[in-house]
Amino acid sequence: MVCKEVLPLMHKHFDEDITAAESAELSIHLRTCEACRRYFQQLERMEALVRMLPKTSSSGLSTERIMNSLPPARKRISLYRWIKRHPAASVAAVFICLMLGSFLVLWDENSQLVVKGADLEHIVIRGDTVYVPAGKTVNGDLIVQSGKVQVEGDVKGDVVVIDGSIYMASTAHISGHVTSINQGFEWIWFKVQEWFRLISK
Amino acid sequence: MEFDDKGDEAVNYVEARLAKLSLGGDRRAFAELVEMYKDRIFHLAYRMLGNNQESEDVVQETFLRVFTNLHRYDESQKFSTWIYRIATNLCIDRLRKRKTYYSLDADMSDNSEGSDWYSLLSSNEKTPESHMLLSETQEQVRKAIETLPEKYKSVVILRYLHDLSLQEIGEVLDMPVTTVKTRVHRGREYLRKKLENELI
Repeated sequence: MVCKEVLPLMHKHFDEDITAAESAELSIHLRTCEACRRYFQQLERMEALVRMLPKTSSSGLSTERIMNSLPPARKRISLYRWIKRHPAASVAAVFICLMLGSFLVLWDENSQLVVKGADLEHIVIRGDTVYVPAGKTVNGDLIVQSGKVQVEGDVKGDVVVIDGSIYMASTAHISGHVTSINQGFEWIWFKVQEWFRLISK
Repeated sequence: MEFDDKGDEAVNYVEARLAKLSLGGDRRAFAELVEMYKDRIFHLAYRMLGNNQESEDVVQETFLRVFTNLHRYDESQKFSTWIYRIATNLCIDRLRKRKTYYSLDADMSDNSEGSDWYSLLSSNEKTPESHMLLSETQEQVRKAIETLPEKYKSVVILRYLHDLSLQEIGEVLDMPVTTVKTRVHRGREYLRKKLENELI
């Protein structure tokens, strides 16, 4: 029927994937081999006939009908779906909200006098002033918010004043740092540091 | 991503834009895509399945799937490749569901046991071509394609009736080009044999 070595070349020809050398080889063979020539011509005609088969289209299936069979347009992606699609962003958003929330709560407390410290035994509070009386020792850090600090004694730690003022008498001795913080970013930064300190404990 | 020519690239740009608009909720953009492809998809399905009703079902389902999966469409891929893949797979699924007795290897014996039921079905109903005068030869060609074993059918149809390149067919059917080539070759040989009498 057809020479086995030549058949692949014929296929290459019809794939339009044949080199010039192979094409020449094919031509030469076809010139002399009747069986292959017939086979090749049959393939040629078959390809032409198949390609020429008229295209069918369904007049019954209109664009309108197809569009009507589609589900109604999806509303804007609901929040639920957005969360599903962006898990990382959702978590980040929730986290930020919580942090902001807690900051705001803390912020709100600033009008009240707050005294924090590990050892407040000798601390005296009068009005809006926090006293470390002369001769007394505070063993640890002292943090005062929205108030004045008057140090006349010893503080074995840091003193932090937020939105207030600090007065140190000559008899005062503070072994740690004295920090004065005002509202705003300093405060936020301070809070973050405090938070980290809490975690590292 | 290679396009065969600038025209190709331009067409795909339009289609990709329409797809993007559709994803944003623009139904008219999607209707454009439907308009562009419904005939081609029907033509593909009809040659694969042989009857009107199933082909229409496939067209509807194809667009439904495209619509609900727009968010999955990857713009670096040709839109035509994507939609053809959906449609072809739907056709292949249907072909497989039929109880056919095709031998799927390179056995070229004339086996029309399984196809009888369906060719009976399609010959009884009004085909889209019934109002078209098909010459006897063309009728033979149509039948020959219809009886192609499923393996070769999709590649032959995509190659000859939709002019997809071998590379594109590989992408549509998710198979290596070498496999596509083999199947095209076998399909060719099968059709030549089937149509031997018409091809003098």
